[in-house]
Amino acid sequence: MKLQPPTYADRLLNWFCRDDLIEDLQGDLHELFTERMSKQAAWLTRLQYFWWVIRSIRHDVIKNPLGTMRNIHMLRNNLKIASRIIWKNKLNSFLLVAGITLGLTCFLLMGFYVRQEATYDQFHSKKDRIYRVWLKEDYGGDQIFFNSSTPVIFESFLEDNFPEVERAIQVNNIRLNVGEGENRYNERVTVISKDFLEVLDFKIISSEISEPLPDRNSLILSKEYAKKYFGTENPLGKSLPLELAGEDRLFTITALFEDIPVNSSIQMDMAISSENDNVIYSERQRKAWFNVSPETYVLFHEGTDIDQVNAKSQDVILSVLQDEVQRNEYNIGFQPITDIHLNTEIPPALAPVGNPSYVFVLSIIGLLVLIIAIINYATLSLGHSFVRRREIGIRKVIGARKGGIIWQYLTESWLIAAIGTAISILLTYLSLPLFNELIGVDITLEFQWWHLFLYLGIVCIVGISAGIYPAIVLSREQVTNILGGHGGQKKAHHLRKGMVTFQFIVTVFLVTSTLLMERQLNFLNSKDLGFTYESTLSIQLNQDPNSPGFTAAMASARDKGKILKSQLKQYPEILATGVGSHSFGSGNWGRVSYTDQNDLFHRFRINAIDPGYLETFDIKMKEGRSFMPDNIADEKTSIILNQAAVDHFGLTDPIGKKLPGSDFGNHKIVGVTEDFNYSSLHSQIEPLVFIQDYEAIYQGIHDHDYDDSPVPKLVVKYRTENLSEIYNLIEKEWKATFPNEELRLSFTDENIQAQYDGEQKMNRLVRFATLLSILVASFGLLGMTILLINSKIKEISIRKVIGASELTLFTLLARSFAPQLILGIVLSVPLTILFMNKWLENFAYQIQISPLIFLAGAVISSLIALLVISYHTLKAARVNPVESMRRE
Amino acid sequence: MAREQIGELEELVLLAVGALLDDAYAVTILQTIVENTDRRLDVTSIHSVLRRLERKGLVNSEMGGATAVRGGRRKKYFSLTRAGRSILDETMAVRARLYNQLPRLTFALPRL
Repeated sequence: MKLQPPTYADRLLNWFCRDDLIEDLQGDLHELFTERMSKQAAWLTRLQYFWWVIRSIRHDVIKNPLGTMRNIHMLRNNLKIASRIIWKNKLNSFLLVAGITLGLTCFLLMGFYVRQEATYDQFHSKKDRIYRVWLKEDYGGDQIFFNSSTPVIFESFLEDNFPEVERAIQVNNIRLNVGEGENRYNERVTVISKDFLEVLDFKIISSEISEPLPDRNSLILSKEYAKKYFGTENPLGKSLPLELAGEDRLFTITALFEDIPVNSSIQMDMAISSENDNVIYSERQRKAWFNVSPETYVLFHEGTDIDQVNAKSQDVILSVLQDEVQRNEYNIGFQPITDIHLNTEIPPALAPVGNPSYVFVLSIIGLLVLIIAIINYATLSLGHSFVRRREIGIRKVIGARKGGIIWQYLTESWLIAAIGTAISILLTYLSLPLFNELIGVDITLEFQWWHLFLYLGIVCIVGISAGIYPAIVLSREQVTNILGGHGGQKKAHHLRKGMVTFQFIVTVFLVTSTLLMERQLNFLNSKDLGFTYESTLSIQLNQDPNSPGFTAAMASARDKGKILKSQLKQYPEILATGVGSHSFGSGNWGRVSYTDQNDLFHRFRINAIDPGYLETFDIKMKEGRSFMPDNIADEKTSIILNQAAVDHFGLTDPIGKKLPGSDFGNHKIVGVTEDFNYSSLHSQIEPLVFIQDYEAIYQGIHDHDYDDSPVPKLVVKYRTENLSEIYNLIEKEWKATFPNEELRLSFTDENIQAQYDGEQKMNRLVRFATLLSILVASFGLLGMTILLINSKIKEISIRKVIGASELTLFTLLARSFAPQLILGIVLSVPLTILFMNKWLENFAYQIQISPLIFLAGAVISSLIALLVISYHTLKAARVNPVESMRRE
Repeated sequence: MAREQIGELEELVLLAVGALLDDAYAVTILQTIVENTDRRLDVTSIHSVLRRLERKGLVNSEMGGATAVRGGRRKKYFSLTRAGRSILDETMAVRARLYNQLPRLTFALPRL
């Protein structure tokens, strides 16, 4: 039997117990332990011993290995001194706190934005097993068709042929007329598989039945849409008509779901079951392997190795499609759902894809501005330390140790950081709605308790990084140096200058970049696109849902356009009208492709228009003629190319010729337009063919790809300053002609601007960061100026007595920052060029980075710097020498 | 009288220290009290009280008498100081005085 008391208990006792008490205490416990051991079970005694040790922890027994009490006293003392110093130098403290506050606010706001972008689709609990399916058909050369929309058949195909797949679900958006009477709108309706809500975590908030979407006549609504259609009434069990396949059908609301969070790739407002697929897609579409529309997501079983699935996917595909494709032509792949938002390699489907480099750049900028603020603190308190050297010296003489002084300085910087952080958090939360509106982002913030730790962490890190350097430098100095007159400090001086230079680099970089971005965006907005889009608008026409096939459906919408067109013609405000499959700025125009008799692959964009279209947008003809109005033969056979298409097909003297290819029907080229930028300036002008009737070339092409819906739009050029007048006029005619349809009208200039939304947003964010960084750096510079003047006030006075003019004195003082400023400007140039070239690569049409921009950036930065230092410098230069000499 | 006040457990410990004479250390004090009063106590409480009494100057301590069962550690012997003794005397006197004022044979008679 083991007679010794448990060692862990003894170790514990040794750890906390005071040395002068432990011998007796431990002896007594051992003695009692031995005594008890003879009376009761060993384990019980050991337990009891441990209990005694625990019970021995009393306040007068605990030793003080880290000097806890002394530290608490010192902390209290340090805090007291820190707050006194902060209070005493109000201006300096204000500059310090304001710098930290602004830097941190910028950092937090950028951080929240970046966090939102980076956490897309993270809220699904099974996110590690959910993948989106993509399809890449690769027939060699340019013949690559890469989509993350998939054939309808994929849902059953994946579930039946891949045992690793637990569930496959599909989602698609269609536009339907919803509601009746005044409350009839054309809505985006989402079609989802029955088990969609079991795989993805969208919160159902109220449902009377266990299954949210029981049959093909059920409809689920978001909270917001429930309010839109039913107000405050309880919508459950009520019904709403949806126009599907040409007839209004009543759908029963079976459940409501929480509004979809911003950071979800899948967005929906109202959803119906994919059991309606048979009226949404044609029979052919539902069975097709080469026709893509919905997005497909799969949920893999736990522990599935995705590489193994990929490895065998070709075999599975060939087992189904062996007659139609060769190996590796028809590829399917899986993309993690959390990867969708920021992966630009895979084409977007329903949700737009963010720009990962923006996210990266913005996080860097947020960090840079915070670093500026921290550096600000360091330089300012270092500068200020020269004023406080005597205090440090006395402390040292009295017996303060190095560590003590470091702690004192750190307490100060922590206190400042804490105040700054508190204000900045308040500022961030309060200004978030304004920020969202100004920048055009949609950041949502929910306070959670762990955020407190984050903020505490920020206080610690900012406090340490801002305070540690000055603390070390000051504590290191010899007492004799401090008190005996002039000390060395050369090194710290250089470093301080280095830090100021760094601030200038970042500030000038941001200023120049903002200027450059603004110039590029101005350039995009003002570039001559080759057509006139001012004072034009487009109206979405609706196809006849019962028309057989694509061509007929398009024709039905076009006919509606003709009716409306003739109605609008009577108004003098309407200058020109036309009908076309695509207008400007609303997405990529339809793209078709085919292989000609020489086995050459051709891909071009297409727009089915009427004779009025080119005139409406003032598109110039280069050769030949435009389409002829009211000429059936012309309508069926004539086509018009743009210059890029002529170049692509290698046609010389194109008028009267045909497109190369054997399957085309009777058609001929009647005209060639000048090149014009019909897609955004991110891309070059691609070959384009105008047709009137799809019949003209429809037989000859194999593949279609529509981003913008090809359903015709009526385009209108108007003459008026009063937009609402035009709108009312069109609305009146629309209501009279199509009483049961919602008018969808958009202004072309707005659409074209919207193409650059991403860049505009980025520009606004950078401008915001620039503004804050300028402010922070200005605070720093202001503080430095004040310090400089304080230390040189006698020199200034003596110079003045001898006869220096105010201007001389001003330049003398201003000159002390000149080297840093100039160095900052020079060093910012390569940085700016590097970053901006990267940014400009996004555009096919770029401005040149001209030296003028850098000059402008330099001038702006210098002017701001001059402005900041001038007030105090001038004041110092004007001071009466008698006053300042008499001091001391 | 502005004298040091002592609690009941302090009083008991003080009495035990006095009674045990040369053999008063925590373990024996504990045993004495447990035997005489049937109280459930553990040694840590005794230690705590002894430290308090020593701070108040009512007991003195000295180290000595290491034994094998204590792993060679010395004991801390306690003895009453003059102050300790007088506070005990006084407490006892107060009690005796009050006790003597009780009428002889007082019973709480059940009410009829």
